[in-house]
Amino acid sequence: MGNFSIRTENLKKNFGAVKALNGVSFDFSAGLLHGLIGSNGAGKTTTMRLLAGLLKPSSGRISYYSEGQPAALSELRPSLAYMPQQASLYPDLSIDEHLEFFRELYRLEPEVYARRSTRLLNITRLDKFRGRRAGQLSGGMYKKLGLMCSLLQSPSVLLLDEPTNGVDPISRREFWEMLYDLAAEKILIVVSTAYMDEAERCSRVHLLDSGHLLASGEPRAVLKEAGASGFEELFVRQGAQK
Amino acid sequence: MNGFNFHRAYSIARKEVMHILRDPFTLTLALGLPVMLVTFFGYAIDYEVRNIRLAVSDRDNGPAARRLKEVFSSSGYFRLVEPGPAGPVEMLDSGRAAAAVFIEPDFSKKIKGGGQAQAQFVLDGSDNSKAAAITGYLPGIQRAAQAKLAAQTIKEPFSAETRFLYNPELNSRWFIVPGLAAIIIGLLAILLTALNVAREWENGSMELLLSTPVRPLEIITGKLAPYGALVLAGVFFVYLVSRLVFGVPFEGSHLLYLAACLLFVTAALSQGLLISVITRQQQVAMQFSMITGLLPSMLLSGFIFPVESMPAFFQYLTMLLPPRWFMAAARGITLKGADLAELAVPFLALGLLSAGMLALAIKKFKTDLE
Repeated sequence: MGNFSIRTENLKKNFGAVKALNGVSFDFSAGLLHGLIGSNGAGKTTTMRLLAGLLKPSSGRISYYSEGQPAALSELRPSLAYMPQQASLYPDLSIDEHLEFFRELYRLEPEVYARRSTRLLNITRLDKFRGRRAGQLSGGMYKKLGLMCSLLQSPSVLLLDEPTNGVDPISRREFWEMLYDLAAEKILIVVSTAYMDEAERCSRVHLLDSGHLLASGEPRAVLKEAGASGFEELFVRQGAQK
Repeated sequence: MNGFNFHRAYSIARKEVMHILRDPFTLTLALGLPVMLVTFFGYAIDYEVRNIRLAVSDRDNGPAARRLKEVFSSSGYFRLVEPGPAGPVEMLDSGRAAAAVFIEPDFSKKIKGGGQAQAQFVLDGSDNSKAAAITGYLPGIQRAAQAKLAAQTIKEPFSAETRFLYNPELNSRWFIVPGLAAIIIGLLAILLTALNVAREWENGSMELLLSTPVRPLEIITGKLAPYGALVLAGVFFVYLVSRLVFGVPFEGSHLLYLAACLLFVTAALSQGLLISVITRQQQVAMQFSMITGLLPSMLLSGFIFPVESMPAFFQYLTMLLPPRWFMAAARGITLKGADLAELAVPFLALGLLSAGMLALAIKKFKTDLE
């Protein structure tokens, strides 16, 4: 597993006349849990898709690094996992069938697959529901299944686009605990969220608003610098200034 | 990572098979609908026009006039109706008759005297397909009437006999059913692929797939192969209906027919894929499929109107339509027993169009979400 990091410089993305990202620069270093925080339309999903190579920037650069050395996205791709915001799993396939399908896509050896799937099923506590179809899972279980499919290849870079959106508070807490465990394994995790309370769970936050980067850094330091008691207050204040 | 990985393509195909088997709608659409449509329209569509309401204005009422009317009614094409006080032309105006015959007052007398009698035939030209069919029946009716009225066979300087090869009784169903099958199967293949792949774009699963190491060609192969097999199963059921229900003969090679089906289905699946890649939305994909899959197949493939009778530009345009070539190949194989050498042009055209359509679909299949 390589030690990956991603940097962006003056990244811009336009969709016709709409400026989704307006010159943002990020530094996503390995082993940290990065949070992209912002309300709807802030540019979180666009950033995620750009990082995953699913969109091309209108201008600016995205640089990938492996063990501190510049690397191409194609080198990173086998170690990169992306979980889209949309419900992208197959409602008629069971948990086991999803895992089996992704095992085949990642060409995992049977013993590697057996070890990882058992571990993931234990962590997510979905082992009792292996035969249940994705369409019959609760919101939280569905998101956990999506995460399992992403983690099956044991990625070094994990991009999660609003993974806790629409998930109940208990499942959200469980989800974040799983992310902490993964971050401890030196995985670069970038997670986007519109829930302001989740910002404080990240080791680094990047606050986005209307395609602009408002602030980046350790959560408490960002709040201290802004003189705000919480991220919700910070965003409300920002909105009032506009 | 680089290159085509058969196992990944197979895993996508396996997943598609699971979707198909668990979706009764897709299964019914692919296997039941073609059979139902071919049976329904096979019975409904008939190029032979029968039961034509013929208004007769008989101002003679003599024996020759009666024999002339008998010839019309015994032909099986016409049903004689009395015009009543309104008169034959008013019946044509109101649509109560499609044709009228006017027999002059001294019709029988003139024939008996060896003179030339007159009977005028008037057709409703507002329905020109029916008028054209009736015009086709008239020479035969006239010959039969002349023979009957002269009470002997008329001696003509030479006799010309017409014999119809491959379809001796000109059974229009033998002609219609294979063509109909081509249209329905083609449309089905386009629709199934277009909707399926557009759904993956719409619900975000394509976004997830593209972020994995899977290659576009593996996705395309894995998606097209099961739907190709499903459509070919539909072809088999349609074949059974054609043979068992409509008695369509099969004079040629089944292997050759299968090869033609494979090429045609590949072209149709690729067209569906292309539509889904461009539209990425199920509803728009459905509309595109209907417009590009149904209308050209119905109107420009030679199913209803002969390609040779179209203006030159449209004749060239039809060359780009796989249904035109498949229809020629299918009719040639089933009715004429034609071999590959005789069907070289349709096969070559189908092969080129299938390869071209597939190449275009692959080229257009983007690996990003732009």
